[in-house]
This record gives sequence, structure tokens and C-alpha cells, in this order.
Amino acid sequence: MTAFTLAILAVLLAGPVPEAMAGRAALRRTPWATMLLWQGVALAAVLSALGAGLALVTDRAWRGEPDAVGLTVAAVALLVTGLVSVRLLLSGHRVGTSLRSLRRRHRRQVDLVAREERGVAVLEYDAPLAYCLPGLAKARVVVSRGALGRLDTDEVAAVIAHERAHLRARHDLVLEAFSVLHQAFPRWVSSRAALAEVGLLVEVLADRAAVRSVGARPLARALVALADREAPEAMLGAGGSALTERVRLLADTDPHPLQGALVGLAGVGVVVLPTAFVAVPWLAGLAGA
Amino acid sequence: MGLTSRMGELERAVMDRLWSVDDWATVREVHDALAADRDLAYTTVMTVLDRLARKDLVARERDGRAYRYRARASRGEMTAELLRETLDDFAEHDRRSALVAFVGDAPADDLAALREALAELGEG
Repeated sequence: MTAFTLAILAVLLAGPVPEAMAGRAALRRTPWATMLLWQGVALAAVLSALGAGLALVTDRAWRGEPDAVGLTVAAVALLVTGLVSVRLLLSGHRVGTSLRSLRRRHRRQVDLVAREERGVAVLEYDAPLAYCLPGLAKARVVVSRGALGRLDTDEVAAVIAHERAHLRARHDLVLEAFSVLHQAFPRWVSSRAALAEVGLLVEVLADRAAVRSVGARPLARALVALADREAPEAMLGAGGSALTERVRLLADTDPHPLQGALVGLAGVGVVVLPTAFVAVPWLAGLAGA
Repeated sequence: MGLTSRMGELERAVMDRLWSVDDWATVREVHDALAADRDLAYTTVMTVLDRLARKDLVARERDGRAYRYRARASRGEMTAELLRETLDDFAEHDRRSALVAFVGDAPADDLAALREALAELGEG
């Protein structure tokens, strides 16, 4: 029974739930709480999937006198659970090491060619570029000369505040976690939608931080100024249509406390409730058996 | 400061010097320029230039009994090359999260919508 409940939960949290959450504009008005919800759903999905496998194992092989069929089912369940765990760990390892080595190499190169101005690394490059290079101790905000040329002082401050917010909040770690999930299970679950939506949410969060320090107007102007280009350097960020959404969200300054509280609570609940009502009784039952 | 970051800082200073000279320079010339505002051994500059030459960032030619060095490419060229290379890496690995960019690429038809959204935000 426990295995069945957890399996249903895992399937729901891996497919329909993220599917329903992605692209829902209202949720982006409370980016912090929604980010918590995404992380809760992802964590709960992984835990339920692993829990379902293990519950099936204990269900068939733990209690009473297991027969041959029961033992076979248990063995297969254990194998599948093990494979899923290994796949997750491997994906985590691969994504982590490749990200870190790419960043390290890029950082060394940037440090060699960039000039430091106003605490950011300025690249002599005509196309407008602005990004951050996350890292524990050696984080950098990188801006191209082309970007500086297109922005006034307030707009530059907005861009820098936005990038610093990414670095401070370690948004890269959240993106990394969702990349790991996506790499591990690209087809089974709606992980691409999750990754895209979480990518947008970290931008919205960084935008809000920038608005707090310089105001919405310079930030919006900077977004538009830097988007307007014919550049080969796509790839470095969220898709273009997300930009319009970000500028629209800047107009919404209401904190939406009720929605924030409910969504945040849902994010915590989705992890805590299955643990309390399914996993704990199951484990307690095992201990008592 | 760790050894590697000191080396990184020196490499950067040496490249800066070579870019501003924009011509062949001997170890002595680079050392004299850099030692003006820091405590720096001649042999250290030699080591740094040697490392840069091995990384193919500077060219080296013999000038009598010493070597002369110059930057292989201008700062702008090297930056362009670096970005091209980085973008290739990222395209290949689909690792957009390695760099968190301020904006992504906006197709032209999105720009109109973008400007509209900006206008709605009002002046101020």
C-alpha cells in the first residue's frame, strides 16, 4: 500500500504537477515562494520515487515468510531503485564537475583579458553582454564595453545589482540542481519545463533585488537596451520571450503576501506531508514488525 | 594570496604591459615597467613570460642572447576568441547555468512586445 501511494505521488510530482505549474504567470508574482514550491516538488518527487521502490522491497521481503515471487519482485524493485539513485548521483557528479571546470577555465581567461572597473570585469567587446560567473570565493560580474556603451549610469548600476543578486543568492546552485534532474531523467519527467521556469524565476528574483537598489525604470531600460542586438551569443541565458515577461513583472510591485504564504506553505507541505503520513508510518511499521 | 592567484595576477600584469607596448619587449623591459610599483624579481618575470609563451598567449623570438616577447593578439581579438570559444563550449554542453546572463537572445518580433511592456511601466 505504501509503495503504491508513493508511486502515485512520484508520478504526479514528476509529470502533471510541474506541467501545471510551468508557465503559470500568477505564480511568478511571488517568485521566492514559487521557487520554494519548485524545489519542494522536485525533492518530493525524488524521495517518493526512491521511497516507492524501497517500500515495495520491504513489503515483499521483510515481513512474514516471503515466497519466490515476492522475493523476485523485491529484488527487481531494489535493482530499479538502485539504478535510479546511481543515475542521479552520476548526473550530479557529471554536471557539477563539468560546470566547475568550464567556469574555472573561463574565469582564468576573463581575468587575463578583462579590465577591472567599478568592481566588475569589463571585456573589450562590442556586442552587449552582461553575465556573472558564480563561484564560492572567486565570483565575477562580467560586462562588455558594448553593454557599457549602451547604458547610462543608472542602467549599469541596475545590471550590476542584478548580477550581484544572482551571486549572493547562489542562484547557480538551484539551476544546477534542476540541470542534474533534467540530465538524469530527461524524458520521464517534465524536467525541461521545470528547468526553464526555474531559470525565469531566478531572473525575476535578481530583477527584484535590482529594483530595490536602483528602481524599476532603469532596470527595464537596461533589459530592453541589451536585448536589442543581432548577436551570435545566444545561449547565455533564458529565452527572449521571457524578457517581456520580466519587464511586465517589474510593473507588479504588490508583494501578494497571501499568495506568497500559501505557495510557500505548499512548497514545505509537499515534502513534509508525505513524509509524515506515508514514510514515517511505514518505517514505524518496519521497526515494529 | 595563494600561489596560483599571484601567478594569475602577474600574468595579467605582464599581458597588460605587452598590450600597452604593442611591440616586442625584452624580459628586462617588462620587468622594469612592472617593478616600478611592486617588489618583483627579474627571474619571476622570465618565468611568467615563459608560461605565457607555452600557453601560446605571447610570441617569442631570439634577440641576440635574450628573448623578446609580444602579445600574440590584441586584447580585443583575444576577448573575441575567448567568447567564441566559451559559447561553443556552452552550446555543446547545454550548460547555460554555468554563466547566468543578464538577458538572453531576443528574436526581433519579441522586441516590439518588449518595448510595449517598457512603455507600460511608465516614465520616471
